Amino acid sequence: MTDPLVQVDDIHVHYGRLAAVRGVSLRVDPGEIVCLVGPNGAGKSTTLLTIAGVLSPTQGAVQVAGTPIAGLAPERVAGLGLSMVPEGRHIFGALTVEENLRIGTYGRADRREIEREYARILGEFPVLAERRRTMAAKLSGGEQQQLAISRALLTGAKILLVDEPSLGLAPMMVERVYDILRDLRDRRGITLLIVEESTERAVDVADRIYVLRRGLIELAGTSAGLADREHLQRAYFGFDQSAGDDRPATPR
Amino acid sequence: MIPILQVLVDAISLGSLYALATLGVGLVFGVLRLINFAYGDFITVASYALILPAAGATAEVFIGRWPWPFLVAAVVLVVVILALVSEFLVFRPLRTAKPAVLMIGSFALGYIIQNAIIVVYNARPKAVGIWSGLGEAIQFGGLRVPGLQIVTIVATLSLLGALVLFLKRSPFGIQMRAASEDFLMARMLGVRGNTVIGTAFVISGFLAAIVSLLFVAQVGVVSFHMGVPLMLFAFIATVIGGMGSLTGAVIGGYAVGFASIFLQALLPEHLRTFRDAFVFAVVIVILLVWPQGLVMSRTARERV
Repeated sequence: MTDPLVQVDDIHVHYGRLAAVRGVSLRVDPGEIVCLVGPNGAGKSTTLLTIAGVLSPTQGAVQVAGTPIAGLAPERVAGLGLSMVPEGRHIFGALTVEENLRIGTYGRADRREIEREYARILGEFPVLAERRRTMAAKLSGGEQQQLAISRALLTGAKILLVDEPSLGLAPMMVERVYDILRDLRDRRGITLLIVEESTERAVDVADRIYVLRRGLIELAGTSAGLADREHLQRAYFGFDQSAGDDRPATPR
Repeated sequence: MIPILQVLVDAISLGSLYALATLGVGLVFGVLRLINFAYGDFITVASYALILPAAGATAEVFIGRWPWPFLVAAVVLVVVILALVSEFLVFRPLRTAKPAVLMIGSFALGYIIQNAIIVVYNARPKAVGIWSGLGEAIQFGGLRVPGLQIVTIVATLSLLGALVLFLKRSPFGIQMRAASEDFLMARMLGVRGNTVIGTAFVISGFLAAIVSLLFVAQVGVVSFHMGVPLMLFAFIATVIGGMGSLTGAVIGGYAVGFASIFLQALLPEHLRTFRDAFVFAVVIVILLVWPQGLVMSRTARERV
């Protein structure tokens, strides 16, 4: 068994006195696509931000590529080969498309590898190549999502954390974005941890799924194993009163 | 015709000084959301760096006697070090605090610097003459322009040009612009937060030193609160320019400079003493019409 790229052990995260995450454990292995699904306020984004080193857990630990990230600044965690495609994309609107793409490359020493990857990205996303010198704020939502993904790739990341990539996009664009994400794994071997609200889409794209509700992992398993929709829905919406308390946090 | 041109040159010259000062405030605000009120005291320290630290009644000019390239370099070095030490001791521990807390921290820092100056140099203003040769006017047809005004305008334009090149072309500059727009996102992409903030403070200190030298060469006096009014005008210029926009900072600086000089020239004599009150009235009108400032920054727009 390979070492996990991301290992989360029983983290608790608080905003002030409010507990957003109350004991989440998960792992992501190299080359996997893992989805974190759950309703609004389940603690999905909080978990992601904790893995990225933005939030500090009040309890528990996170390891990225075998390194404990406790006390590391977000830019140091990024240096471990992890990058974020955040909810709302967070494009630098006043910068050009090219400047957005290059922002994550300045800390890297491997100039030749960067230029190779840069050329490859412009080849795969012609719209970014065309609009290289445009202010990024002028791009459409779908174009910005492509820019956010490409920008994260150019940091040299091996694992991308992708937060609600479908938010605010037209249905056709959502398909395209998920095709792109699948391609990243299939053609570049990029590992993905994706936050998604829709269980349908999660089952469709992921190898494994964690269902998060009210700060706890309600259910975990392979997409194939969770094809039993009723079971999945129950974990998601929490209709079953007894669910959650007696279940082990990491079933795998 | 000539008097109007004369007033115009005065306005451009004073506007240049304010524009430089405002940029120093705006750069740090961009990355840290901090209005650094100690910035005025950075300006004061730059002028005091020209004389020997002694409590005597008259100033003993030391660095101020050096040839100008050495003089400028030495003063810049002093203020840049002061800016970096301030960042490390005061603003870094407060990094995650609310903007209001940061601002109060900057007030505290300012008072500490002012009182340190009083302890070392005493509280009385001291005459410090530098670059007296620049006081002589140069004749352009019927227009007489003091050399210092030309130096101020040329220095400002070159610094603006250099700053634009730095921000647009250098990796540091691009990272700084990204961090001004979305600090956390920039860090998640590997941009070093400390480096970006440190760079902002270095440039800010550099600009404070230049502003101070141009100012003291003109007035010929240093005092422990000389930087306070400059900071006040720079702050106002930041607000009317549009917080967070560097273009706005420059425009705001010139706007305040122009308002001051033209009011000075146009107001009836008995009202001139109250010139600054009229300047502030103009500022209020501008803010009533454009509450976001003259140039709305993208970050401000997103928050609306």
